[in-house]
Amino acid sequence: MTNLDIALHVKRLPGWMVLALWTLVVALPLYILIVSCFKSTAEIYGDKFGLPTQWTLDNFVNAWTKAQFARYMVNSFLVTGGAVALTIIVSAMAAFPLSRYPLGWSSPLLAFFLAGVMLPIRLASVEMFTLMKHLDLLDSRLGLVFVYTAIRIPFAVFILANFMRVLPRELEEAARLDGAKEWRILVSIIVPTIRPAIAIVAIFTAIAVWNDFFFPLIFIFDDAYKTVPLAITTFVGQFRTDWGMVFASLAISMMPVLVMYLLLARQIREGVGATGGLK
Amino acid sequence: MASRLRRDPIDWPKHRAAVFFVLPALVIYCLFVVYPLATSLFGSFFEWRGLRMRGFAGLDNFARLFVDPSWPRLSGAFLHNVFWFCGIMVLQNALGLIFAYLLFLRSRGTAFLQSVFFFPAVLSPVIVGALWRLLLTPDGVVETVLHNLGLIQGRLTILGNSSWALWVLVAVDAWNWMGLPVLIFTAGLRQIQGEVFEAARLDGAGAGRILWSIALPQLIPAISSLTTLTFINTFNQFDLVYVMQGVQGNPSYSTDTLVTYFYRLAFGAEGAVGITDIGLALALGTLLFLLLTVVTIMLLRFFEKRTVRLS
Repeated sequence: MTNLDIALHVKRLPGWMVLALWTLVVALPLYILIVSCFKSTAEIYGDKFGLPTQWTLDNFVNAWTKAQFARYMVNSFLVTGGAVALTIIVSAMAAFPLSRYPLGWSSPLLAFFLAGVMLPIRLASVEMFTLMKHLDLLDSRLGLVFVYTAIRIPFAVFILANFMRVLPRELEEAARLDGAKEWRILVSIIVPTIRPAIAIVAIFTAIAVWNDFFFPLIFIFDDAYKTVPLAITTFVGQFRTDWGMVFASLAISMMPVLVMYLLLARQIREGVGATGGLK
Repeated sequence: MASRLRRDPIDWPKHRAAVFFVLPALVIYCLFVVYPLATSLFGSFFEWRGLRMRGFAGLDNFARLFVDPSWPRLSGAFLHNVFWFCGIMVLQNALGLIFAYLLFLRSRGTAFLQSVFFFPAVLSPVIVGALWRLLLTPDGVVETVLHNLGLIQGRLTILGNSSWALWVLVAVDAWNWMGLPVLIFTAGLRQIQGEVFEAARLDGAGAGRILWSIALPQLIPAISSLTTLTFINTFNQFDLVYVMQGVQGNPSYSTDTLVTYFYRLAFGAEGAVGITDIGLALALGTLLFLLLTVVTIMLLRFFEKRTVRLS
């Protein structure tokens, strides 16, 4: 290492310290969350920063059984899975002709979908409530699936149409000459070639739906259909003294997102950098 | 030439197929988003009793928003949203720009640190709010840290303190979303041609100077989308307040926002418990809708004019 190299490294030290400091600010709360899950409530109060003296799974067992967390997890998985699947199916179908047929009415319709990306949909919640009541979709996981799909369609159509537009025309012409039906072309030619875009839409839809609690708050009253975030908001008040269990329930509920993040961090980073949006 | 001018015959089967493909998405989108939004805007001009629409009321609902007892709530919530927006612009976006620039200047460890910084953004605001509420309680983790650093003495009660609570919520929100400006700004910085930085460096410009005079003007598209996103998100703020301070925006409405106020009016937690005022809620919704749409378009126009075009 030359003197110049060393000088360069010294000059960069303050910058590294800033970055390290924020890493600590992000990591410390998450560290506290994880170790607290394995401590008794007395120890959470007593020794806040250390590792548990006696590792216990009681908190998880309590959260899973006493607080019926298993049920909320199932609800969240069903609603998220359903919304992701439905969003991708109907959005891919809509994006296909809008991006690839010479129709004359595709741009206004695309703009109509796109407007939904920015609509403050929460402000329509009163009328949504009335609508859901008439459709008998209150206290229903299917109702949540429809609402989330409707909200995520604009983003999905936008991304998928952008990816489909740039595919070469020859791709489908040959199949069309062979007499393939339009839906065949979509399913076996277009969709496989835009898999990265479908992955981005699936990831972002899954995260947004998994995390939301506003619509369950409005539409779900029966404990049997509550999703995880809604259950947590009631927990935090209800079990205020049982910190261990609250920490454990937070850890359980972030686990699916954490696993997805560890597997797909690169796609998520690039997707956010390119499209700018999770919310 | 003639053949190019001739219009193609309309391909009816193609139109039919297109309608078939578009219909499911269009029906779901119109039924669950466009229709409720349109009827909400429409309904704000009517008198309501419970969930039932009565006679035409003109601008009565809007007028009622601006007098007691609504006016103190409305003005307070609006100011909190403005404060929240400014706070996030500085605490999250400006700080995020510095983090992004520091990462951009380094070749090693950037992907890893980006992932760490972004991780809280994939968590639900409910989890983030609940976690910080536990950390910030009296005798909690944050209190212990501040004690040990010698920054405070006695109990830490900032969440119950009406002059501090809003600051804390903004800081937690910034913690939650810091990864967003970091990712958007690093993506933006990478699009700037390397020679531009090289030339500035050869001219003897320091890192700070390069960021301010060279990088910043070229980052205007990134700044534009972040400012717009921040505006939309802060004026829709609800989750953190609900989880950390309750739907009343405790203590004494000091963390109340426009959407928490809307929620109380619409679903009955304002004034006497269980009483809803749909007319007032819809009027507030309509105003908020107009505010969001108009300001978003103005922001995009404003930045559009200032975008540096490289041709």
